[in-house]
Formats: sequence, C-alpha cells, structure tokens
Amino acid sequence: MQHVLGGAKDVPTMLVDGVLRSGQSINFEGNVVVLGDVNPGAQVTAGGNVIVMGVLRGTVHAGAAGNEQAVIVAFRLRPTQLRIANYIARSPDGEDFNPNQPEIARVRDGTVVIEAFPPGGERQGKK
Amino acid sequence: MSEVIVVTSGKGGVGKTTVTANIGCGLAMLGHKVVLVDADTGLRNLDVVLGMENRIVFDLTDVIEEKCRLRQALIKDRRFEELFMLPTAQTKDKSAVTAKDMQNICAQLREHFDYVIIDCPAGIEQGFQSAVAGAEKAIVVTVPEVAAVRDADRVVGLLEAKAEIHDPKLIINRLRVQMVQRGDMMTLEDMHDILGLELLGVIPDDERVVVATNRGEPVVTDEDSISGRAFRHIVRRMLGEPVPLMNFDHREGFLSRLRKIMGLG
Ligand SMILES: Nc1ncnc2c1ncn2[C@@H]1O[C@H](COP(=O)(O)OP(=O)(O)OP(=O)(O)O)[C@@H](O)[C@H]1O
Ligand SMILES: [Mg+2]
Repeated sequence: MQHVLGGAKDVPTMLVDGVLRSGQSINFEGNVVVLGDVNPGAQVTAGGNVIVMGVLRGTVHAGAAGNEQAVIVAFRLRPTQLRIANYIARSPDGEDFNPNQPEIARVRDGTVVIEAFPPGGERQGKK
Repeated sequence: MSEVIVVTSGKGGVGKTTVTANIGCGLAMLGHKVVLVDADTGLRNLDVVLGMENRIVFDLTDVIEEKCRLRQALIKDRRFEELFMLPTAQTKDKSAVTAKDMQNICAQLREHFDYVIIDCPAGIEQGFQSAVAGAEKAIVVTVPEVAAVRDADRVVGLLEAKAEIHDPKLIINRLRVQMVQRGDMMTLEDMHDILGLELLGVIPDDERVVVATNRGEPVVTDEDSISGRAFRHIVRRMLGEPVPLMNFDHREGFLSRLRKIMGLG
C-alpha cells in the first residue's frame, strides 16, 4: 500500500477517548486520534494529522501551523468544514453525501480533495 | 435508594417544565414519594403547571437565606399525598441560587424522598450550572429539530464535564405524527446517531398538553389522551419496566427500528 502520511509522522499523538460533542474542542500541536464521533459544533485543531474513528460531522483543522502535508482520515467523513493548513473545504450546501466507507482528505494542487480510504474507491460527486 | 434527577435541554421552550411536572405526578400516582424543585429562578413555571401558584409562601431563596426551614417551603400537592414541590423566587434572578446551595438542598431533600426532580432553566450559564450541581442523573429533553438536537448535544457534554453526570436519558417531545408519516420530520434514528443516548420515550405534539397545563392538571392524569399515555409509559420505564414504544407510524419497519434504538429489540 502506498504511504498516506506526507509529514508529521514523529510528532506526539493525543488520543481522545470518546465522542466530542457540540461545544467541545481539542487543540493539540501534534496528531489527534478521536476514538468516537466528532459531532456538529465540535472542533479539533491539530498541528499534525487527525484521525477520527467514528463519524466526523464537526469541524477539523489539520496541519494548523501550516503543514500542507497533513491529512484528515475519518471512518465516516461528513464534516461541517475541513481545514488543512490554510486551505478550507466546507460541506456542499444542500447536497447530502452519504459515503459509506472511510475517507481521507488532503491537499492536492492547492485544494482539499477527498478520496476513499484505503485508496481504490471513488467518491461520488465533487468534494 | 433515592434519585436526584435534573431535567434539562439547553434550548428553551422544548418541554422541560412539562416533563418535570408529568413524570413527577406519574411517579406519585404509583405511590412514590416525589419532590419537584423549580430551579428556574425569575421565570418560574412549575407552580403554575401543577396548579400550586396560589399556595406559595416561602421559596428556595428564602431557605437559602435562612428565612425559613426547608420543610416550610415545600408545597403539598392536593391530588397526590406523596407529591411535593419546592418553588423558587419569581422576583430574583439566577445569581440568588449557587451550585453549593443546590447541592445542600438536594442532599437534604433526598433524605426524605424517593425522587428529587429538578426543573432546569434554559441555557448553559449559571442557572443551568447551579441546577445540575446537586443531581446525579439527568433527563435531556429535545424536540425533533436540528437546532434543538445540537443544543441537547452541547448539554450532554457539559453534564459530563461540569457535573460528572454520565449517560443521561433522552425524551423526545412534540413529535408531529403527521409529519413523521409524510417523512418530513427528523427521524429518531437521526437523533440517535448524533446523541447516542438511551431513549426514555417519545411524546407526541398534543393540544391536550396545553389544555392540561393551563388548568394546572398535568396531562399524565388524563386517562384518554395519547400524550398522557406516553408520559405514563415513560414513568414505568424509569422504574425499570421494558414498556415498548407506542407506534406513531404505521409504515413497515418504523417500530422495529425504534426498538433497536431503545435496546428492546
Ligand atoms: N407534547 C406537547 N404538545 C403540545 N404542547 C406542548 C408539549 N410539550 C410542551 N408543550 C407546550 O410548549 C410550551 C413550552 O413547554 P415548557 O414550558 O414545558 O418548556 P420549557 O422547556 O420548560 O421552557 P423554558 O425553557 O422556558 O423553561 C408550553 O406552552 C407547553 O404547554
Ligand atoms: Mg421551564
């Protein structure tokens, strides 16, 4: 399998033990792994990568200090908004994507792209 | 063993006071000793819903200021021997009752009652924080709307963080049966996906609730109403009986999906 992480592999990682609910936020300079959902209204900001072992419905900022190599992986990616370094992607207005596989978001050619994870599948519609 | 339960929601007007009054009456109807505490200082309603307004002499803030003893401020219900209410002040604001005060009062009340049920104010500020301070369990009330569910989620997080109250139970109020049948309403599954709480029950939107409230006769005492029945079922579930949910929708599958959410299936 090809490598997924472009950078920030050897920074510390924070484990979040459970759901992040509306109004709760995590701010960490390394990687963040959430062992549960990130609900709408919750926010994760990480210097490194963010992995969500649940449904990501809230807002996640990876590579917050400017690392464009950072990625966001979620078991189900249905975010309000994703940010990687200085790039922002928001959920499409009115369209309801319901991918039923894990996905990965990363920056490619100056935009945030979302693909199936592990690579191979394709997401229906644009990002 | 007594239980101290706070009824809360985040969003205002979703039915906290209605739920508090009805489950309180419902538990008292079955012979349990219950005290309902109005923690919505400055905007008290519980006395009106229970038809007790005209009998308030002392209130929660008088007890805190030691103008009277706790027992003197308790009002006995005229229908049920075992039901009491502790009113709060209408002429003061939320700063009149601190978290410490509520902890003290609840600790005293639980010595004498099976259930201490606290009607929480809307919001997440000081009034909320005081109201939840003395409780060990919570019931979160929401209506099937995205904004209300969002606020409920916020409150569940705060209950854990501020009051160490884990795994609150959920009541969904004002379900519009026709909208469910048309598929126009947020589904119970959608709500469960986000909140992940055990569902204590679903109360339909029912004008009998309003009529009953205006009369000071909680609808749980109304034998013929669908909402009264929903409240009686909730009370039995609180007591540990596995009462199945009422079927509000005759489409295939609706009920079995609910059973799954409630862990009855
Ligand atoms: N199931 C229902 N069907 C119809 N009307 C209802 C229902 N539940 C509550 N209501 C009405 O909705 C209004 C608000 O209810 P209630 O006062 O219990 O809400 P609350 O959450 O305590 O409000 P607040 O946040 O202001 O304290 C009342 O007029 C009540 O009669
Ligand atoms: Mg109220």
